[in-house]
Amino acid sequence: MNRPNQDLIDRMTNELTPVRRMKAGTGLALALAALLVTIVLIALLDGLRHGLTSGDVSPYFLITNGLLLVLGVACSISAVSMASPRVGSHHDGPKWAMAMLAMVPLAAFVSLVTRGSLAPATSDPYGPYCFLSAMAASALVGLSLFGWLKRGAPVSSARAGLHAGVAAGAFGAFAYGLACPFDGIVHLGLFHVTPVLLSGLLGRFAVPPLLRW
Amino acid sequence: MIADEATLRRLMALSQKGDRGAYRVLLSEASGWLERYFRHKVPSAQTGDLVQEVLLALHHKRATFDPSRPFLPWLAAIARYRWVDHLRKVYRRQEEALEDYDAASDSGEEAMMARISLGRLLQQIPAKQALAIELVKIEGHSIRDAATHCGQSEAAIKVNIHRGLKRLSGLIEKAD
Repeated sequence: MNRPNQDLIDRMTNELTPVRRMKAGTGLALALAALLVTIVLIALLDGLRHGLTSGDVSPYFLITNGLLLVLGVACSISAVSMASPRVGSHHDGPKWAMAMLAMVPLAAFVSLVTRGSLAPATSDPYGPYCFLSAMAASALVGLSLFGWLKRGAPVSSARAGLHAGVAAGAFGAFAYGLACPFDGIVHLGLFHVTPVLLSGLLGRFAVPPLLRW
Repeated sequence: MIADEATLRRLMALSQKGDRGAYRVLLSEASGWLERYFRHKVPSAQTGDLVQEVLLALHHKRATFDPSRPFLPWLAAIARYRWVDHLRKVYRRQEEALEDYDAASDSGEEAMMARISLGRLLQQIPAKQALAIELVKIEGHSIRDAATHCGQSEAAIKVNIHRGLKRLSGLIEKAD
């Protein structure tokens, strides 16, 4: 071994201290805890919507929020596992979950086309509020995943940022969805799914430079 | 001594608990493994720096190792990440000092070895991008020489390098 390497090894050995291992389960628990805190805050600030306990909700509500939850979990698991370097990982799960959620805005689009009117989309007075609320609700999960990735060593920072962003957006939209009383397909497809897209784009383009190590 | 995977994994697990003896042995083994790993991926003059960068990364990110998983793929992922980062830095320096850039001083045989062994990741990106990276980064040709050699414009060579590096970066984790 060459001298510089030996000197470096000596120095690092002398500096060695025990470390607490980063366990994927802990990272996922942090993200889920952030989601839970977000739901509690929304319940306190806005109140949860009617029909949650009695089941008096539309199938669109159940399908959309179910897909958001699945996507949030899939992307959170992927982002958390990317904090630990490895080779041979494809992270295909989130892709399929994203494709499934994309069916909701597609259905909204088809619905608008068949009605021959954009009015349900353009004249929805609560749409922008839902969009902004879902974005705000994604902050805690986003911060927890970003903190986890920052502490770790993601070798695919672009994909890690994308998955963290999508997870945050999906969990944020799911959490706010529990307070939103509107469950039409156009409202859900446009104003509850687009925050996931924006959050994903933010994660994909704004986060990677911050994850360099 | 060349330690096997199980031994390396055990040494790393002990190192995470603060065992300095185990850590010293692990770093020596990792250093040797990395020298062999990079010998075929960069001109030899740059191997030492890269090995040290990876050892430092191993030290700072040792908490991310999961003892239930193999050690060498974890180390290889860090090594790939540092390698792509290194290619980017070299390219940036070449861009900044293109006029007075000195070609790599390695012998033709070493450059050839590096070019052949880069295969695994480079095979997975488009041929034009791989060729541009090989010519400019591994063999040390200028952009102009690479353009003449490939029959492409200098702009196309630059674009191929940029895109190739971007693709390589996306393959660090995916490729087996």
